[in-house]
Amino acid sequence: MSKKLFCGVKSPLFCGLSSRDISPKARYRCMRNSLLIVMLAITLIPLSITSGLNFIQYQQLLREDSQANARWNAESARATISAYLEKLEAAITVVIDTYTFEDLSDSKKLEQIFKQLKKEHQGLVDLSVVGPDGIQSAYVGPYGGLVGKDYSDSLWFHKALTRRMYVSEVFTGFRNVPHFVVAASKKDPYSEQYWVLRASIDTETLDRFLALADTEALEDIFLINDSGKLQSASRYHGGAMDDFQLTRKPKQNDILIFEEMRGDNSFYRAVSRIQNTPWLLVLDQQGAEARKIWHSFKARLLLTLTICFLASGGMVIWLSRFLAGKFREADETRDAILSETEHSNKLASIGRLAAGVAHEINNPLAIIGEKAGLMQDLVGLDQNFSHREKFLDQLASLQNAVVRARTITHRLLGFARRMETSLTLVQLNEILQEVLSFLEKDAAYRNIHVILQLQENLPVIRADHGQLQQVFLNVINNAIDAIRNDGEIHITSRRENNKTVMVAISDTGPGIAPDVLKNIFEPFFTTKGNEEKKGTGLGLSITYGLVQKMGGKIEVSSEVGVGTTFIITFPVYSEGSEGESNDRA
Amino acid sequence: MTAHRILIVDDELDFGTTLAERLELRGFAAKAVGGAQEAMAVLAADWRPDVVLLDLMMPGIDGLAALDLIKQHDPKIQVIILTGHGSTESGIIGMQRGLFDYLMKPVDIGELIARINEAGAK
Repeated sequence: MSKKLFCGVKSPLFCGLSSRDISPKARYRCMRNSLLIVMLAITLIPLSITSGLNFIQYQQLLREDSQANARWNAESARATISAYLEKLEAAITVVIDTYTFEDLSDSKKLEQIFKQLKKEHQGLVDLSVVGPDGIQSAYVGPYGGLVGKDYSDSLWFHKALTRRMYVSEVFTGFRNVPHFVVAASKKDPYSEQYWVLRASIDTETLDRFLALADTEALEDIFLINDSGKLQSASRYHGGAMDDFQLTRKPKQNDILIFEEMRGDNSFYRAVSRIQNTPWLLVLDQQGAEARKIWHSFKARLLLTLTICFLASGGMVIWLSRFLAGKFREADETRDAILSETEHSNKLASIGRLAAGVAHEINNPLAIIGEKAGLMQDLVGLDQNFSHREKFLDQLASLQNAVVRARTITHRLLGFARRMETSLTLVQLNEILQEVLSFLEKDAAYRNIHVILQLQENLPVIRADHGQLQQVFLNVINNAIDAIRNDGEIHITSRRENNKTVMVAISDTGPGIAPDVLKNIFEPFFTTKGNEEKKGTGLGLSITYGLVQKMGGKIEVSSEVGVGTTFIITFPVYSEGSEGESNDRA
Repeated sequence: MTAHRILIVDDELDFGTTLAERLELRGFAAKAVGGAQEAMAVLAADWRPDVVLLDLMMPGIDGLAALDLIKQHDPKIQVIILTGHGSTESGIIGMQRGLFDYLMKPVDIGELIARINEAGAK
């Protein structure tokens, strides 16, 4: 692919300019492809790198934001639960400080207090008093038959006795329903033994508080204890009392945040201890890549990139074609100028050569002419000269040959002198009519119809009258010679635009083969080799030189079997162009 | 009409003498010389031509210089350049220096005589 693309040359970038062993078409295609690749690389690589960096930076920002969000949510949930417990603990402390064991062992009193507490503390299931022996002496709540129950072996009871306030882990207890207790102990002043006031709270209360933290990115939030038992319901790991394995735990009061995987998706886990409880708060927050904002960013980035790629690609394709076209145009113009210069130089050299040859031949030709003339004179005067008539015939032939040779040398000199022009303002149509007046008899004799389509009021041009006649004479003569007999010559004149007028001369002759056509304006190139009317090969070359010198242009097109068309264009005369024309003259 | 005196100045003496002979056959008094110095010698010898037929490229003094010498000697002598090495530039220069006409070799004798007569009549 690359070999084809870069044409197998040393420098792929400049193969279009340096490689000469491939066709021009392939060279410009190669150049266009090279430009395309370079410009695509220049535009799209920085764009891709910038987009990639943006992608990574935004991802990083989003991760940091997700972690900060997880920390904030965990902090908030921990504060909510702590506040709830602190408020409940404060209320229980007030009750136990206010009343004695005997007061609270009175069911009516206890119920009165329970009702008051329940109003202010949602989730409170029951309230009970447990004596120093672990026997529940009073109970207010939905579970009947709990009075008299022995809690002396219960962990919470022992913990409550050793601390003034204790929040238990979640357990099922006698009621066989997951709950936790907030228990406070107080020393009886008479027996000097500790008794306990206990409030039970169902785990649904914890669930409700945790649910308050539910945000868009939140995956799961729950409580566990140190031994890995769920203390509240989890979206993914089951209900209270189910097992859960926590890989890392925070030290003291820190909030630990780390990345975990669930299937193919990553998420952030925040773990923190809730002070004065046996609980650890676990919060799972969606990873950055799972968030809507991330998907939205990716979609926007992809859309922007696609638009940029398409726009840049389109622009680059257009630009590479445009530039390759401009290069091609410039090369073609340069080649045309070089070719034109070469042709002009060739004409000038041949002109100088022709002039030299003509000059050198003229002198001996003049001697021959004069000698023959003298002989004619002498023989002509002597009526008694034997073979007089025969001599005179021979001498006349000799003179004719001299005249023929002189015509050639003078024409050669005319070719050399074609640059010498006398410019005046002329009307092309008038010149054409003049030339046709010379040729119409010849054309009529050969049954050739000349059809004129001359535009009226054609602008004047600045040209040499005689040379312009010679131009049209040469071209129309050529057309007559090409047709030989029976045919048509169409002569059209018209204004092409504000700057040029043109004359087209078409014949219905046999046409010119392409290999002949390309040499048609070359000096000494003739196709009239075996005709009785031999050509010098200078006619069209002189025509070409004359037209060019007068600031015009001559072009030829031909199709074998159809005919040939010469189109001659001249600049329209205007005041502004006068100086230029004079310089040329 | 009196026959004009013609002086032919041409380094190609063969041409000059032949042409002189042809002109004499037509009633002119003609002399041919091979260069400008000889021409000036003829003029100095009191043989005054009416018309000089002068070649342009000659060894020594060329045609244009010879034209100047002739015109200095006698401005009334008419000079026709008859050359095989013609160019428009030399023709224009010659005209500016008093040249009567400028003809290219080989020339038709009839045309030449017509020009000589025109020049002689001036």
